[in-house]
Amino acid sequence: MRRISILLFGLSIVVTPLYAHHGRGATYDMKKRVTLKGSVSRVDWRNPHVVIFMDVKDETGKVVTWGFENAGVSQLAQEGYNRNTLKIGQEITAIVNPAVNGAPTAIVVKVILADGSEIMSRERGQNPID
Amino acid sequence: MQNRFITWMLVFLLAGLAHAQDDKEKFKARYESLPADSNFDPHDLSGIWTLTKNDHSLGTPAPPLTPAGVAAMAGRIVDKAGVIGNAPWYTCNPMGFPRLLNDDEPMEFIVLKDRVLQLFQWEHRIRVLWTDGRELPSGQNLENLGPAWYGHSVGEWQGNTLVLNTVGLEERAWLDNQAHPKSFHARIEETWKRVDSNTLELQLTLYDPEYYTAPYVGSKKIYKRMPKDAATYFGWYGLFAGITEGICAPMNEVDGYNKGFRDPGQAKR
Repeated sequence: MRRISILLFGLSIVVTPLYAHHGRGATYDMKKRVTLKGSVSRVDWRNPHVVIFMDVKDETGKVVTWGFENAGVSQLAQEGYNRNTLKIGQEITAIVNPAVNGAPTAIVVKVILADGSEIMSRERGQNPID
Repeated sequence: MQNRFITWMLVFLLAGLAHAQDDKEKFKARYESLPADSNFDPHDLSGIWTLTKNDHSLGTPAPPLTPAGVAAMAGRIVDKAGVIGNAPWYTCNPMGFPRLLNDDEPMEFIVLKDRVLQLFQWEHRIRVLWTDGRELPSGQNLENLGPAWYGHSVGEWQGNTLVLNTVGLEERAWLDNQAHPKSFHARIEETWKRVDSNTLELQLTLYDPEYYTAPYVGSKKIYKRMPKDAATYFGWYGLFAGITEGICAPMNEVDGYNKGFRDPGQAKR
């Protein structure tokens, strides 16, 4: 039984891919999801990864600026997204995997617009982890 | 307790397999729509191509290193859980050859009379592969030329296979994401074969007796031709179609992404 456990553990390490194409490391808790509601405050539409910042009110009413990263520019462009897809001040909901250390940074799972449509969705293969 | 452990390991294993499969297929949308054409010139490699598999290595296990090879790897940190490595390209240093060849972004061949140009979307980079019959630099000439991130390359057609050889590589550039080394005196042989209208086969072999106890023979890698619409962004076609340019600008990568976004979320380094 112990041998089987060790074998499975070993195999699980072998087949778990390394994410970091640009030094992402293992920043995020990929098992945890957080829902952020707020307004877009900045869009860094550039390589190595597109980063979108949004202002989110916490439980006490204090505004916290979160940033969530996406795939690179070319991958998002291939899905038809561009630097004007999200505009400053636009209200959005972002489902994200947050940073392990509690910082207000994250990697996006998907963005939900005010009309309920989902964009930049990793679940739909539009925003791959690279 | 043991059963629960095994169950979790199985879940982890299956999740990893599923993700690895996704990863493997992630470039498929770039090329799958292109119809085959049986009438093609096997010596015409021109066009924009993309790897079919996401693999930042030579694709096979490396042979054992020599003591000098082990010493050359000292200080190199590979990414692992919770830790960011120190790959040179994380701070916008060139990936170098052959690492760039194994990267994610598309590549274009331009075939000229006396040379083949290889353009890389990532790094907005060019390799010049001389086919004018010249010899590779060697001896004192090579020593005087010194190391280059992409080396010095010559090539010739052997039948329908383009055989390239590259020497004079910069040692500070990692061979792959596992931080393997290559010495300045190494030679890399690279073969390209157009097996059908939309498919190229690539195979690399590193000859480096200073750092490896045997030649490092890489796996066969497949490139697929990208249809025009897959390399067109908002009406603008081309490998460097503005929005897709992959120039690694320190203002973006180091100051913007690394310091401005990534590092605050890191547990440790």
